[in-house]
Formats: sequence, structure tokens, C-alpha cells
Amino acid sequence: MDALSGALAETNAGEGRPDLDSVFLAQYPRVARVIARVIRDPGRAEELAVEVFLKWARDRKARLGNAEPWLYRAAVRVALNELRRQARQNRYESLVALFRKSPPTPEELHVAREEQERVRLLLRVLGRRQAELLVLRSQGLGYEELAAALHLNPASVGTLLARAQKAFRKEYIARYGTE
Amino acid sequence: MERNEEGQNVGRWVDERMAILAPADEWEPNVPRGLAHFRAKREEVRRPRQRWAWVAAASLVICISLMATPVTRAFAQRCLSACVNETGWVRQILNVGTSGARSNTVYAPEARRMAPDFTLADASGTPVSLADYRGKVVLLNFWATWCFPCRAEIPLLMEFEQAYRDRGFVVLGVSMDDDGWKAVKPYLHSRKMNYPVMVADRRMPELFGGLKAIPETLIIDRRGRIAATHLGLCQKSEYENDIKAVLNESAKGTTK
Repeated sequence: MDALSGALAETNAGEGRPDLDSVFLAQYPRVARVIARVIRDPGRAEELAVEVFLKWARDRKARLGNAEPWLYRAAVRVALNELRRQARQNRYESLVALFRKSPPTPEELHVAREEQERVRLLLRVLGRRQAELLVLRSQGLGYEELAAALHLNPASVGTLLARAQKAFRKEYIARYGTE
Repeated sequence: MERNEEGQNVGRWVDERMAILAPADEWEPNVPRGLAHFRAKREEVRRPRQRWAWVAAASLVICISLMATPVTRAFAQRCLSACVNETGWVRQILNVGTSGARSNTVYAPEARRMAPDFTLADASGTPVSLADYRGKVVLLNFWATWCFPCRAEIPLLMEFEQAYRDRGFVVLGVSMDDDGWKAVKPYLHSRKMNYPVMVADRRMPELFGGLKAIPETLIIDRRGRIAATHLGLCQKSEYENDIKAVLNESAKGTTK
């Protein structure tokens, strides 16, 4: 009986590991925001955020370490993947639409015109690493946090970030002209 | 210095662009809904595991109950041997696995123990005793009419009887049928079996140390000792190797 309760306490406390729900409550808004930044649909962003937490809860190794950087990295990856997936789907749908010859809805036109979509396109076009850096940077993460989340050397985060920004600007100008 | 400033400008410019992506200020992720979703999905993940546990427990119970009584055990064995028998390649794999490991299954003469003697009536009612066959090599086959692999072996045994009779070889069949002669006699007639067949009495399995499987085949040398034991269905070559080995060795023994 004693051994059983001891084992139970151990699994709950798990070497000082906070329990799943409290981590969820603490980190969920931030994770959802990172994803919502990248993809258009906030509802979908919330779904994906829950997916990220499920992945984390299943990953024993991730749970032992610091949750925050892991969650940030997973969130930005999931979001960028979703962005690419949506783009592929859109391309397919526009191809189908071409055959159907139905005009795009006003809403689509409106959305497509938005500046947001330009940035999203660039995130898709840029290298994955650079896109991850830019998204998390715009989320307000410091160099240290960026390094922890993306497994980078803290000393080189500044250089990498500057390079990513330059690449972003170059790509933007190449596509849309100056400003 | 200038470059640094330019870098900062680029940084600021990109930050501005990226800031456009920020979700609207009034948007707040719905934490309670997310948490409920998270918990529900975690449960969902856990449930299949429980389902597997149930399936495993159920199959364990079925296995145990199948093994519990001799009737069900025989039934399970019958199913299994039918499966093995039906699929030739499975049998081949199994046989390669076993016969490759031990090409000669004959015990060394000094390691052999005496076969227990018994006397049973054959189909015509004449008592047949194992001791009567001292000086001959006996293939003693335990079988049953309901046992599919046993029936598959019978033509093989008839062939052996035919081929080695002249060299002092005899096949004896002992049927383990619960229905006794009622089941065995029609079968004997339909298959025209050329060797003596008896029906086992209650003592028989006990006498031979509890039969582990059906068919079980013993090869008994000329001095009445058990020279080889075969459990289950075996390949023709396995029997033949053993029979030849025992026939040859005892021939040597008698000439010496």
C-alpha cells in the first residue's frame, strides 16, 4: 500500500515536473497567439495549439525539460506547416476554380489584397529556419529565448536574425517593390 | 557604424511588417475551451490503450479456458493442427526449423528406456501385446479418427509397413477415440489399413507418461526400448530416417 501511494506521488510530482494542466493554463494563450500570427483562422489556430500540447504531453523527454521553448518551437513549426498546407490547398482549389470558371468571392479578393497575405507568402517562401526566427521574434522573444526555442547558439542568434530580416526585405522588395 | 544603423533600419522595417500579422487585439484564445479539448483528447488517446488491454485480457481468458479441460484442449489442438496442415508452407517452415536442428532424433542406445508393455484387443478381438513383437522394430502410432494430421499420416504408415515388413518392421496403431470401436471400425474398413489397430483403454496414456500430443509416434527397437519419439505431424523423411537407423543398428546388434 505504501509503495503504491509512493509510486503515485512520484508519477504526479515526477522529479518536480509540473502537472499537465497547469502548464497548459500557463502557456496556452502564448502558443495559440504564435500560431494565430502565422495562420489566418484563429479557430484553427486554437485547434493547432491544443495539438501542440497533446504532442508535448505524449513526449516524455519533452516533459522532463523546460516546457516553454519546446512549446514555442513546436507551435511555430505547426503553424508554418499549416500555412504551407493551406497554400497548397488554395493552389489546388484555384486550379479547380479555373476549370469551373467561377469568379473568386469578394471576401477572398479582400483577403488576398491584404498586406497580411503578402507577409504570409514570404514566410512560406523563406527558409524554414528564418521563418521560425522571424515569427518568434515578432512574438517578442529575446535572443536567449530564441536560442532556447530553436536550439541555436545564443551568440549567433543576432547574426542569424539579421540575416533572416535581410532575406525577408530582399524578397519583399523583389516581389512587391519598395514599400 | 553605418552598416549597423542600416541593419537596425531593416530590423525595424521587418518588425513592422511582421507586426501586421499579430492577431486582432480583441482576440483572446479561449483557454477553458482549449483546456476541455486538451483533456478530452488526452482521454481519447488513453482509451485505445484500455481497449487493447481488454482484448488482451479476453484472449488470455479464452486461451486459459481452452487449455483447462482435455476436451477443449483437444479441440484447440485440432484447430491448430488443421491450420498447420492446411497451409503447406507453414508446415514446411516448421519442419525446416525442427528437422534442421536435429537431423537424427534417435536416442543413443544406452539412453533408451523400456517401452511399457500393454495388451489390447484388435478389431477382430484377438489380443495384441507389445511383447509379442520383441525382436522387431515397432512403430507405435497414437492417433484418433477426429484428428486431421493423424489421418494425414495413415497412408504414410501403411507405406512404411509395406516397405519394411521384410526387414522385421511392424506398425501398430492405438486409437485414442472416446467412442472406441464404434468410431474406429468403420474408419478401418474405409481406409483398408494394413496394420493392427487397437483402441486405447483408460490406462494407456498414463502408461506412456501422459500423451503430450496427438499424433504421437514412438519407434521401439528390437529389444523393446523406445528409440525415438515424434510429437505431432512430421515429414516422411524424418520417420524414414529413424526407422532405417533403428533397423540397421539392431541388425548390427544381432549379427555381433
